[in-house]
Amino acid sequence: MLVLAHFWSAFGLFLAALLLGEWQMILRSPLHAWVNIPEYYYRSVTGHGTVMAYVFPLLIAMGFGYAIVELSLKQSLIGLKWAWGAFAVAAVGALMAAAAVASGAATVLYTFYPPLIASPFYYIGVVLVVVGSWIWVALMAVNLRSWRRRHRGEPVPLAMYANVAGAYLWAWTAVGAALEILFQILPVALGLKSTIDAGLARVLFSWTLHAIVYFWLMPAYIAFYVIVPRAIGGRLYSDVMARLSFALFLVFAMPIGIHHLFADPEVGSGFKFVHSVFTAMVVIPTLLTVFTVCASVEIAARLRGGKGVLGWLRALPWRNPAMLGLTFSFVMLGLGGAGGLINMSYQMDSTIHNTQWVTGHFHLIFAGAVVIMYFIIAYDLWPNLTLKPLGQSRLIGMQLWLWFIGIVVMTLPWHLAGLLGMPRRMAYFDFSNAALASQAWTVNAAVMGGALMLVSGVLFVVILARAHFNPRSELAPYRFSAPVHALARVPKALNGFAVWVSLMIALTLTNYGIPIVELLRANTTVPAVFYFAH
Amino acid sequence: MRTSPSQVGLLGLLTVIIVGGGAFLLGFYWLPGAQGVGTVWLRMCRAAGIVSASAENGRETALPGHTTVVIPPDAMTVGNANQIGHGATLALRCTGCHGAQGMSGADAPNLAGQYSEVIYKELLDFKRGARVDAVMGAMVATLSDQDMLDLAHYYAYLPHPAEIHRLADAPALIRVGDPMRGIAPCSSCHGRSDGKVGAPALDGEPKVYLQRQLTAFADGARRNDANAVMRGEARQMTAAEIVLVTDHYAAR
Repeated sequence: MLVLAHFWSAFGLFLAALLLGEWQMILRSPLHAWVNIPEYYYRSVTGHGTVMAYVFPLLIAMGFGYAIVELSLKQSLIGLKWAWGAFAVAAVGALMAAAAVASGAATVLYTFYPPLIASPFYYIGVVLVVVGSWIWVALMAVNLRSWRRRHRGEPVPLAMYANVAGAYLWAWTAVGAALEILFQILPVALGLKSTIDAGLARVLFSWTLHAIVYFWLMPAYIAFYVIVPRAIGGRLYSDVMARLSFALFLVFAMPIGIHHLFADPEVGSGFKFVHSVFTAMVVIPTLLTVFTVCASVEIAARLRGGKGVLGWLRALPWRNPAMLGLTFSFVMLGLGGAGGLINMSYQMDSTIHNTQWVTGHFHLIFAGAVVIMYFIIAYDLWPNLTLKPLGQSRLIGMQLWLWFIGIVVMTLPWHLAGLLGMPRRMAYFDFSNAALASQAWTVNAAVMGGALMLVSGVLFVVILARAHFNPRSELAPYRFSAPVHALARVPKALNGFAVWVSLMIALTLTNYGIPIVELLRANTTVPAVFYFAH
Repeated sequence: MRTSPSQVGLLGLLTVIIVGGGAFLLGFYWLPGAQGVGTVWLRMCRAAGIVSASAENGRETALPGHTTVVIPPDAMTVGNANQIGHGATLALRCTGCHGAQGMSGADAPNLAGQYSEVIYKELLDFKRGARVDAVMGAMVATLSDQDMLDLAHYYAYLPHPAEIHRLADAPALIRVGDPMRGIAPCSSCHGRSDGKVGAPALDGEPKVYLQRQLTAFADGARRNDANAVMRGEARQMTAAEIVLVTDHYAAR
């Protein structure tokens, strides 16, 4: 029930935000006459971003986390009441923020953009969502501890290990934005102050901004390792490699956010360079994952009789949703990752900074590679949650294809437009101008891609909803992927988090300490601009 | 796995120290050093973004004739009865040009219903010499800060002339600007699609006044626009375009 509540509210909000996204694309394209009111566009962007970046992935991670506790630790969730409480707090927060945005009192975009200041209801709503998620983090830790007490010396199941790694990553990464909201923005929004240090706010937000991306990624990565190999009839190539990837994500996800601030004069170039280097280090857990998962897939193919150096590819169950989802996800992750190399390079970034390229990049990675795995997670867990078979495999295949094509059609032209210099976050382009007319097709393509995604999103919800009406049937007990070599024990460092969490915190302090202290000392405050006053 | 329990953790720690140490060495010693200016210590401080070590720090001063006004929050609120009353008394001096009810018959700007922070900013600019006008310079010389705030609140309190155009009917320059020439839409600061603090409402202002101001911005005779925003806009506009947009705003 708890997991279903999380998933259904996540997907309901997802569908609404998807609709907003498509509407924004139509509004901005030459297919629709300009409405003359940029406010509508930015209000919609704020709603779309707040839901898609905060509420939707948090609800998925929370629901998936609760499911993992029950399915991998084989114990009922400790603190069920707290979990419902967390859900209620997050839901109230989400509604508060949504109401503030819808009323036009909080058109500041989900990245807040101080010195713009919105209605305090918006920020308090976001804080409540985060508070709900922190309760979830605590519950994950409590459940793991209780399991450990009863299973001394045994390796923590991989799914739970990865899940708790994600929870700890979130707990720490949310601190940056929490500091920004609680100590900088809210005092101004509540009228206690009239100035704000926008430079410091941006640095604190960058603390959250990049690691949150890896937090979105976590459920998808967990699915790569513990769902896909089993779903396609294979085995996980290496349990230890998987643990190492998640541990490294903890370390390398955090001290890298300043690569979002390459154009900010308040931050020294040395720190920009260091953050650039650490961002590059993320390739290690990423390539470890690509290797391990590909090896696991090859095992599945060979178990199904695949032969030859590449001939085994033919033996793969291509119609299996998990196989299809994984393939699409890897293709998009590859393309997005290649583009990301440009974003994170101190020098190359200047060619695409704040252009439509960036929007293309994070939609390709998050809406593409990650969200398609959220679909797979839902499909995979649904029979276990509803106790009814899912069926409709043709429709599922179609849904995944549509999503993939939609993302590609939408985001690749965005990359090109960004290279041509189209700025992001623009409510309107005058495509009747000869100099811009040649770029109009990129926006039209985004409308088409968005339409495909909208159809796919509706299909997804229909498939999940219809499953509730199937007759109950006996289902095999749910299990996660088994590794090729069952582990009797794993290295201690990869069965716990002490080393990795300490490294995460220590690196955050070294990589953010001086920039934050220096901004506090330099006091670069500016008058706040009260958005809701107008 | 034959690795002993602590080896993995140790290996991880070592990797991070090597990568991190290398990155810091490159970013804070070698790269700033390649720029070759100043002592090693100074370069390292600069790479860390430490402001006090930067040579330019503190040298920034306002150019003469440019605005230095920082709009205080109480210029943006609605004035109370005392402020409005005091402002109305002071405004008796202004009626000759700006009209008895803030509607000018002399091609001076209409002030009725203008944003209070706009009036306050312009008065202060006149007083500090950032905006130059023979009449206004003399008029503001004796005004205190409170006087100027009260005047602003009084005029903001008077009713603003009704807007007669819908934005959809406005010239393209007002609705959407001309991005390729760097002209932002007028309506994104001066109202109807969005407003910015310090930007006046323009509807119903005298045409002669508006044209004179846009031309003054274009040739640099008027320089009290923060960050040269209006000079940047006006320089890009042709004489015909200035007439077009001012015709639109002046219509009532």
